[in-house]
Amino acid sequence: MIGTIATHQLVALRRQRVFAALLASFVLVSALAGLLGWSSNHTISRVYDEAAKLMVATGQPPPPNPFLLKPALSLLSNMVVYVPLIGALFAVVLGHLSVVEDEASGLGRLLFSRHITRTQYAMGKVTSAAVALVIALGASMGVSALSLLVVNHALAVSDVARLGLFYALSWLYLMSFVLIGIIAVLVTHRRSLALLSAMGAWLVLTFVVPQFTSGLRPTQSLNPIIEPIGTSQRFFQITAHGQPFSVVEQYKATAAVILNTAPAEATGQLALRLLPVAALAAILLLITLKLVQRHDFSRSASNE
Amino acid sequence: MAAPAIQLHALSHRYDTDPVLRDIDLTIEHGEIFGFLGHNGAGKTTAINILTTLIAPTSGSAQVCGHDVVRQRGEVTACIGYLPAEVRMYGHLTAAENLAFFATLSGVPHPRRAAAETLAYLECADLANLRVSTFSSGMRQRIGIAQAIVHRPQVLFLDEPTTGLDPFGVRQLRETILQLNADLGMTVFMNTHLLGEVSKVCTTIGVLNHGELIYKDSIEETTRRFPDEASLEDIYVRMGSDSA
Repeated sequence: MIGTIATHQLVALRRQRVFAALLASFVLVSALAGLLGWSSNHTISRVYDEAAKLMVATGQPPPPNPFLLKPALSLLSNMVVYVPLIGALFAVVLGHLSVVEDEASGLGRLLFSRHITRTQYAMGKVTSAAVALVIALGASMGVSALSLLVVNHALAVSDVARLGLFYALSWLYLMSFVLIGIIAVLVTHRRSLALLSAMGAWLVLTFVVPQFTSGLRPTQSLNPIIEPIGTSQRFFQITAHGQPFSVVEQYKATAAVILNTAPAEATGQLALRLLPVAALAAILLLITLKLVQRHDFSRSASNE
Repeated sequence: MAAPAIQLHALSHRYDTDPVLRDIDLTIEHGEIFGFLGHNGAGKTTAINILTTLIAPTSGSAQVCGHDVVRQRGEVTACIGYLPAEVRMYGHLTAAENLAFFATLSGVPHPRRAAAETLAYLECADLANLRVSTFSSGMRQRIGIAQAIVHRPQVLFLDEPTTGLDPFGVRQLRETILQLNADLGMTVFMNTHLLGEVSKVCTTIGVLNHGELIYKDSIEETTRRFPDEASLEDIYVRMGSDSA
């Protein structure tokens, strides 16, 4: 029954323009991340080549090309920013679309007059969104791998494995936002209010919480910095201890470790940093299951 | 002896502190077309919500085809079909896909074939491959009925089925209900406001007033009992004023 509901939902999602547009934009930003990586590589390498030629002409030994010293996956460092921004928005809308039609069009009443349990329904919806996310991230991974191949002319097996791990982490992170999209529909009952409140949750998790933990420097939200920032102000000293609960920062730090762009000392903290990301997804899944159990689908027709 | 199609015993329901249904006792036999009448907010839809297992009653019991709606939910859902008021199907899917989905949920062995057969039975096979979002109210209502009968239930629940239909659609719906009752022997439980339709379709009526069942009898007996009233509408109005 879970498979039936999931398959049905995937077919419905595939035909929705909003979903297609968001999927396309997410794949596009993946290509953009690769393009930006290639562009900076290309520009700096050209400057390096000119400088190296001059140095050789003057009898000085040229230093190695800085790009050759950087890990191959550092070209995709922008993806660590795009996933919490565009990817999470995509996930919120995906979760919203998964259940909103049942709620707003009264279809919930039809579904639960059939022989399905609420757990089967919830798991079917979550499974369909999870699969849709795998498809989106799979397409993004394909584009990213292609970008790396174009720039580096080769892709090591270890890099492919790291890329896979990065996208697996992104999937886990984005599942929380899918569940937020579903929960918002179940709690608010209204199509527009549900989307607005889910967006609000996305804003809080992505921008507000990091500001209260370690977002004192604007660059912090773009470049993962491992250690909490020292400050003489007591308020910020206290709030800096909340960094483990700032899921977006934990995601960025974990992604930086996986992509090999984090400081060496951060590598050992991988499991610790992964924990809040996984815990949030698990807690939201439990809340979703509980809400579906308690939800009154007989009143599911409040389409404004 | 087979259990009645629907049996309610001291059925009561309340939303928070507001009583919606009060001590309802009702028996509907197989093959009846039952018209459930009542003003807005009388509790008709709540009764259907309980009988279709969407909500549990606060007290009392309800059985459909001999199965308790709370303790034997699976057995009840297997023998009922339901068309809520103003329901929409999945607009991005075709009529056939919608029907196949609901047939699968009901455990029909060959959902696609069942969908095609049901559309053909309702003489709307031409809608099979069209997306439901492109349908008019009348077409949507026919697909709604198709989903309700795709698994050939014994009891069909219709909640205000004529809402949004033009006179042609209302007539078509009436013929469909009579056809389902005659061909497939379906018991029909219909909430409605349209008393004219009730007198043309139903075999039995029940009148709900502020959550209480104030009347239940056959159409023939009802017209015999109220010889001074010209129509069912007059009888209904008199019942309402008598009970007030």
